[in-house]
Amino acid sequence: MKILSPSQDNDRDLLLISVFTFFTVTLWVFFEVLKTVKTTTITPQVTQIIVPLSPKIDSQILQTIATKKSY
Amino acid sequence: MAFDYKKEYERYKRYYQSIEPELAKPATRAYTAIIFSFLVVSLFSWYAIRPTMQTIFTLKREITDKTDLDKKMEDKISALIEAQAAYQDVEPNLPIVNQALPVTSDAVRAARQLQALASDSHVTITGISISNVPLAADTGPREEQKIAPNKLTDFPVSLTVTGAYLDIKNFIQGALNLRRVIQIDSMVFSPVRASGTIATNSATPTSTQIKLDLKLKLFYLSSSS
Repeated sequence: MKILSPSQDNDRDLLLISVFTFFTVTLWVFFEVLKTVKTTTITPQVTQIIVPLSPKIDSQILQTIATKKSY
Repeated sequence: MAFDYKKEYERYKRYYQSIEPELAKPATRAYTAIIFSFLVVSLFSWYAIRPTMQTIFTLKREITDKTDLDKKMEDKISALIEAQAAYQDVEPNLPIVNQALPVTSDAVRAARQLQALASDSHVTITGISISNVPLAADTGPREEQKIAPNKLTDFPVSLTVTGAYLDIKNFIQGALNLRRVIQIDSMVFSPVRASGTIATNSATPTSTQIKLDLKLKLFYLSSSS
């Protein structure tokens, strides 16, 4: 097994710290971008406004009601 | 006291000089270059690339959302125009809907209708009981905050009628055929033993007096708030 000098040991530690910093920052940026992509920009009020509306009125039921007796 | 760099340099010179041979080593130079490269890329990723990417993707998402919103709004406007035309077609029939499902309990009118039906069917109402029910619609403090009635509410009505078998049958059919929305929860039939009746040999069902206990549910629309 190769024995490292103290200065080489320090270098290796610093390299590991910088590599881990790089990966942490990269992952953080990636997840922030992912969150931005997935988050909608439409407000709940607007979402409520654009709820689809069916314009059909059941005229058959109106005729059925009209045939019923009222006093 | 002013900073005297010459004096300070002399003081710490041996430390600076001890770094120089260390930096001259090829391994240390390579390590230093790699470490600083990683750190610089990380720093720029956080302070420059991240805000830029966020702005780009926020704008892209906004464009997609707005395009989708525009399409849905167009569809809704078309649907509203169609709904308005359909509403104008059925507008003359709307009072009928209001009679079937009024916006207030309209209990008095319902009782009157049952009485008229009983009279038409030749049966006698011997008892009618309507539970606690609001007679008028809720009126909020401010007109603009009023919510259109949209909740189906019911109230129970108990009714006792007596009459001949066929008349009772007609009464039940008439109740089911009433324009006001009614649900029959239970019906209890029992024969009426009138005192002083003369017994005959030909007791047909048509002449038998029957008492009918009806439990009804009458529906109306109320505000859900």
